[in-house]
Amino acid sequence: MKKLLVFFLFATPLFAHHGRGATYDMKKQVTLKGVITEVSWRNPHVAIYMDVKDPDGKVLNWAFENSNVSTLARQGYNRNTLRAGQEITAVVNPSAQGTPRGLVVKVILADGKVVMSRESGANPVD
Amino acid sequence: MRARIIAALLLAGVFACAPQVTNAQQKFDPHDFSGIWLRKGGDRAISNKPPALTAEGLARMMKNIPVRRRNGETPFAETPEKSNDPAFACNPKGFPRMLVDTAHDWHEVIQLPDRILQLWQEERRPREIWIDGRAVPSGENLDNLGPSWYGHSVGHWEGNTLVVQTVGLDDRAWIDVFGYPKSDVARVEERYRRADADTLEVQLTLFDPRYYTAPWVSDTKTFKREAREKVTFFGWYGLFSGLGELICAPMNANGVNKRGG
Amino acid sequence: MFAFLLVFFASSAVFAQGKPAFDPHDLSGFWIASGAERHALGGKAPSLTPEGVAAMKGRVPDSVNRLPGNAPWYQCNPMGFPRLVLDNEPIEFIMTKDRVIELFQWEWTLRELWLDGRQLPSGDNLENLGPAWYGHSVAQWQGDMLVVNTVGLDERAWLDNQGNPKSFYARIEERYRRVDPDTIEFQLTLDDPKFYTTPWVGAKKTYKRMPIKAVTNSGWKGLYSGNTDAICAPMNEVDDYNKRFRDPAAFGNKK
Repeated sequence: MKKLLVFFLFATPLFAHHGRGATYDMKKQVTLKGVITEVSWRNPHVAIYMDVKDPDGKVLNWAFENSNVSTLARQGYNRNTLRAGQEITAVVNPSAQGTPRGLVVKVILADGKVVMSRESGANPVD
Repeated sequence: MRARIIAALLLAGVFACAPQVTNAQQKFDPHDFSGIWLRKGGDRAISNKPPALTAEGLARMMKNIPVRRRNGETPFAETPEKSNDPAFACNPKGFPRMLVDTAHDWHEVIQLPDRILQLWQEERRPREIWIDGRAVPSGENLDNLGPSWYGHSVGHWEGNTLVVQTVGLDDRAWIDVFGYPKSDVARVEERYRRADADTLEVQLTLFDPRYYTAPWVSDTKTFKREAREKVTFFGWYGLFSGLGELICAPMNANGVNKRGG
Repeated sequence: MFAFLLVFFASSAVFAQGKPAFDPHDLSGFWIASGAERHALGGKAPSLTPEGVAAMKGRVPDSVNRLPGNAPWYQCNPMGFPRLVLDNEPIEFIMTKDRVIELFQWEWTLRELWLDGRQLPSGDNLENLGPAWYGHSVAQWQGDMLVVNTVGLDERAWLDNQGNPKSFYARIEERYRRVDPDTIEFQLTLDDPKFYTTPWVGAKKTYKRMPIKAVTNSGWKGLYSGNTDAICAPMNEVDDYNKRFRDPAAFGNKK
């Protein structure tokens, strides 16, 4: 795998926080409806894994990343905000590589409540 | 008048012959642990007499491959690269390993009104023992807080003994270099006593009914106060300098020893 | 504790324009920096010397479209100073008689800014002490400004997210000034003639006091808890996140 050896000496854009380290298609949004399989509530990357059924009924395990543990804590979130077995809808910017990985836009719980929303500033992934 | 002179002379004589009061015999405040302490005595695990493990505890211990073994049944590695000791790859040692292990030397205590700070040279790690009257986390609060490598510690004084409770520990950190495990329900109680001006003693008890059939009571661990000049190098007093750098950095690891420290 | 507070307020600096009194020499509390410059010094970056250019060789910052570079912290190497202070994460200042202790939530670590009158290490002393990820810091009060100088830094820690270098012989000066009960003004300057043609005067930043609510999680007050555990542990970052999440997202299934 070739690495891109390109130097960007101007100021980094917003999304190079602790290094999101992943490439996403920021122009696209994908809505994932499914069941959480794993909550990895750890610094510096909180990752949520979920099983998503596609139209053919095939199940694919997706994962989306969020802000870090400390920032989420200041918004009042903790490792029990989302739990394995919980049904959620996650809106994400998908990986540009076409793999089932994404950057969170927001999470909608079964009762319609929106949590960990990046678009509202509560989950600032930069 | 003569009697007074004789008395004065006798008294002077007594003082002249009096043995030098050593540092250790000086008056001290038993509630003050400030200073830099060097670990001197006590086993490098909680003790060398652990209680029997439960079936779950033993199953967990069988997954740990330390370089040193105490328990005849469990695995161990002949060389560091065959070990899966998480500390070798620069994962945090966590609590209570940071306290019981004798691999490192020093910590400093900073005494504040609301907490006692232990500054560990190894890993450059601050540990906070809160003495502000807060409750030990439990129930839903503890569940929401989640596990932490160094836990959540609350202390209170019982006479001259500082009693500390720690809960909410990450079960992936081993208790010691021998690979003894602790579960996520573990609670550690420490009892500190300043025995004299230069001596701090601690005894711990691990309460972990998931992995152990009984509480694990430690021996007495002893710390001795270090003279200032012994922790001053090239004009720099203190635990943290390039000379005493003990942060485990993965880039420092080499092929023979995975340890990055 | 209450008596202490009474004495503290009685000896505080005089009011200014009806604002409550505060002691500008007391920086204690929980603070978080804000401002546009994050993970960067800000200000005008000077040009690099040839040695500075050489020191940057092999460093790959994250690209604009977020392909991961090779910043050392991705493998859980320490961020070091000053990179850690550029993170704009919660810190706590604790004032003691011989030093200011800075506690950092990120990395669960600390700095000691020595106020005991010691010399900044130099010459043979500095050479013998050797590099430290967080350096050797000496502080002094100049009026109401706390001036801190740090030397003896580890060159392997990047200055910022771009991979800009700093040499072992760099001296970093920080200036802290508490201007009101809830605000500390801050500025950092890098003086590193080995790697830069002129000093790099960083952008001014503002530390704002964090309300106690913001540092209290599930009844637990303070920087450190399970909910805020920000230690970079290789078993989390390298073995789990990088392998299971980052690499499939960034590199697809090829890696």
